[in-house]
Amino acid sequence: MSTLVKISAIIATALCALSALADETLEIRKDAARLIRVSVAGFAGEAESVLKFDLSVLGMEITTPENAEFLVGGHDNGHVEGTLAAAGNRPLWSRSYAGGSARSQAHAFANDIVKEIRQTAPIFQTRIAFRQQSGAANEICVADYDGANAQMITHDGALISGPSWAPGGQKIFYTSWKSGDTQILEHNLASGARRLFAGYPGANFSPEVSPDGQRVAMILSKGGSPNLYVSAIDGGGLKQLTLTREEDSSPCWSPDSRTICFVCRSGRARLQTISADGGSAHNLAVTGVFGNMTSPDWSPDGQQIAFTTGSGLFSICVVPSAGGQAQKLVEGEDPCWAPNSRTIIFTRRASTRRILCLLDVPTKHVKDVRQLTGSCSEPSWAR
Amino acid sequence: MKKQKFVATLVLSLGLLATMSGCHHRPTTTTVIPDSGRPSSGATNPGANGENPGATLNPTPPVEVTPNNLSGTPESYGAFDNLFAGAHNEDRDKFKGDTLYFDFDSAVIKPSEETKLQDLAAYFKGNQKLEALVIEGNCDERGTEKYNLSLGERRALAAREYLGTLGVDAHRIKTVTYGTSRPAEAGHDEAAWKKNRRDEFVLITPK
Repeated sequence: MSTLVKISAIIATALCALSALADETLEIRKDAARLIRVSVAGFAGEAESVLKFDLSVLGMEITTPENAEFLVGGHDNGHVEGTLAAAGNRPLWSRSYAGGSARSQAHAFANDIVKEIRQTAPIFQTRIAFRQQSGAANEICVADYDGANAQMITHDGALISGPSWAPGGQKIFYTSWKSGDTQILEHNLASGARRLFAGYPGANFSPEVSPDGQRVAMILSKGGSPNLYVSAIDGGGLKQLTLTREEDSSPCWSPDSRTICFVCRSGRARLQTISADGGSAHNLAVTGVFGNMTSPDWSPDGQQIAFTTGSGLFSICVVPSAGGQAQKLVEGEDPCWAPNSRTIIFTRRASTRRILCLLDVPTKHVKDVRQLTGSCSEPSWAR
Repeated sequence: MKKQKFVATLVLSLGLLATMSGCHHRPTTTTVIPDSGRPSSGATNPGANGENPGATLNPTPPVEVTPNNLSGTPESYGAFDNLFAGAHNEDRDKFKGDTLYFDFDSAVIKPSEETKLQDLAAYFKGNQKLEALVIEGNCDERGTEKYNLSLGERRALAAREYLGTLGVDAHRIKTVTYGTSRPAEAGHDEAAWKKNRRDEFVLITPK
């Protein structure tokens, strides 16, 4: 009897230890702000660099297996096969990836790892658009979120600015000076066809398509001041939303497409919100930061507004979308949220050029998008 | 009897704990990547659960509107439409000396700059020739791109408004903003910045 008691005691202890490990993994996953230590083994070349980059973007520190909380393994012999284990080599799952390129298979594997560990929506196979300056030339480029497969989509040799995706990833709107005036162009990616979307007298710039794809917000000066306007997606039904003499800039949409957050420079530049159907503008009550607040972007989950603060030295900040205490995150400007409402792409001014960077908001971990050449700025994330 | 019950309980607990800790092996699954030649956007639809607390919780009162007291930009440039739209000459030297400078983050015409606008007004007032003006607004680099596009346009409009008060027809004046993209000086200090915060005036004449 006493032997049985001893055996069952040992078994019970072992089982308690096992379930404690499972709880620990759960705790790690629940803490969004925690840098998680991950090892990556068995891969080489592109698959390895893609995996390591993707995981660090989501606030994971690549380390040795002995120090890792999660172990990524597998190989890439023709196609990617991946495994994920928790510390102590506790296997979680193994998967096999087929089709597409080695790069996209590695991204798919990374998406699955991140889904397991961070429980966020996949972003590693998404795309960005941005402005690229090389010498005197400015053009719009699209690329994978990590800067791979970059393609120039304009060849006008003219000043160009502010690319903005329509939802669905088929069309991009931007501001072009090729006519000599500022005009908003609508660019179909598949056909390369462009049409003049807004070319009213005065200035036409900063287009932003609503998340439901139905409307476009923009800044026009045809009324005598740079003010906020909204039209239908075909450009019809133009409505002036703001009437102030003070200039407005950089509109962005709430995820339900009902509200626009924008910048009004009355005194200093401040964030305001207005119904997309018209009405009064309201100041967004922001505490904790001073000076100009510009370039807002509303997170897809509706919870936060990211924006830029500063004049000369800029910082990326986030504030709850109903207003409140803002939090300064990193040096940089022009934030744009990823579909996961956790990652932000932004611009950093380096000594000789501008660089796109990826910020993991909860951990404040930053990765430069090093694959891109030239001076890259004004990123927009396809959502 | 007691022993059997004990063993049964133990086996049951073992089974339960094993399930909880998930240490059984899950089968390998294959994920096939669609070979569309382009990665999918992978976007989730935010519409389903997109909250908009900003619209329902609005503790701040409506912003007081300072009305725009201009006559506004004309829907077209009237008699000058064809001049602007068609082939024309751009003379950047004529009014080079009248380049207007602004304080940081401001579109206010400084009293010290007013004589330049009076010069311009004198040129155009009573000028019967088919000649027009483009005002190009510019900023220094200490703002974000979109903000500076607006500020540059505001600066160009400020000059046009002032010329309007001096009797120059608004149809004769077009504004273009360049934000920070056309600096006059390349430096990163106030000596350069003050040269970049400017309106430039370009004389438009028929070809």
